[in-house]
Amino acid sequence: MADEKKMTEQESLDLITNMIRKAKGSYHETGIGSLLWGTVVAIASFLTYFQRTYDFNIGFDIWLIVLAAIIPQIVISVREKRSTQVKKYEDDALNTVWLVFGISIFGLNFYQSIVPGVTADIIQQEGWQMTKNYLDGSKPDEILKPFPPSFYSLFILLYAFPTLVTGIVKQFKPMLFGAIIAYGLFICSCFTRSEYDWLLGGAAAIICWFIPGIILRRKYLAQQRKHV
Amino acid sequence: MFKELDPILHSQLRLAVVSLLIGVKEAEFTFIREKTNATAGNLSVQVQKLKDAGYIEVTKQFKDNYPQTTCKITPKGIEAFEAYVQALQQYLKVGG
Repeated sequence: MADEKKMTEQESLDLITNMIRKAKGSYHETGIGSLLWGTVVAIASFLTYFQRTYDFNIGFDIWLIVLAAIIPQIVISVREKRSTQVKKYEDDALNTVWLVFGISIFGLNFYQSIVPGVTADIIQQEGWQMTKNYLDGSKPDEILKPFPPSFYSLFILLYAFPTLVTGIVKQFKPMLFGAIIAYGLFICSCFTRSEYDWLLGGAAAIICWFIPGIILRRKYLAQQRKHV
Repeated sequence: MFKELDPILHSQLRLAVVSLLIGVKEAEFTFIREKTNATAGNLSVQVQKLKDAGYIEVTKQFKDNYPQTTCKITPKGIEAFEAYVQALQQYLKVGG
């Protein structure tokens, strides 16, 4: 591009439009982060469903793999930051949305592990307890520990939130549709038995992150090939 | 009375650089070179002119042992770009 070439007003306007378009469509994420989270959350959700449905135990909490995935995510984030040639205004906002999402997920896990025990202590101090009473009298009453019913539904609801924000801001339809479907899965999960929530949650992880991750990865690799 | 087009911006390469930077928070020199198809030498000269005018901020640092130059538009640059586009629109309205 020549530096001092005389331009007409129309040429100037066309150049501005062209450059703004180039900046807008220039950057594709690697997709590895989406693939990673789509995979671990789907595996953990499906395995939890199978453990509950077929009554077996793999010997450790499968959700620890979600915790472990934070380490590769940090490595991915650092590498992506290093290789990024351009930083957009929305990047910081979206990173914050995903950070808040991560904190909220851990907040929900904390709630789930603390509240039933605390509630049990409180109601014991008040001198009552929760029991399971079979209406037909076929089995004796069972004492129940308080539990939030169909709790994984809330996770599905939460999976949709950052996905929808990213889909709208980045105008990335796979995530936009993924989030809308996840909201549909959340509604379904409110009407199904709690073990099916895990199946629906696994499906949400695949639709929200794994499939968009494959699409992002393909776009990124295609862009890389163009540069070679 | 027509506003005079800003001579700093009314140059193909400098206008291209500012138009790229207006839509992003910051961009590396290599990114700008790739998008404008300019030579490194020519781009360096134009980037320096924009920097001298106070339209862009240039940060030089080392990344993985390689020098890295990052450019960012300044509030003065945004103001100048907006004024330039307004002046262009004025010319085009009369011309059209």
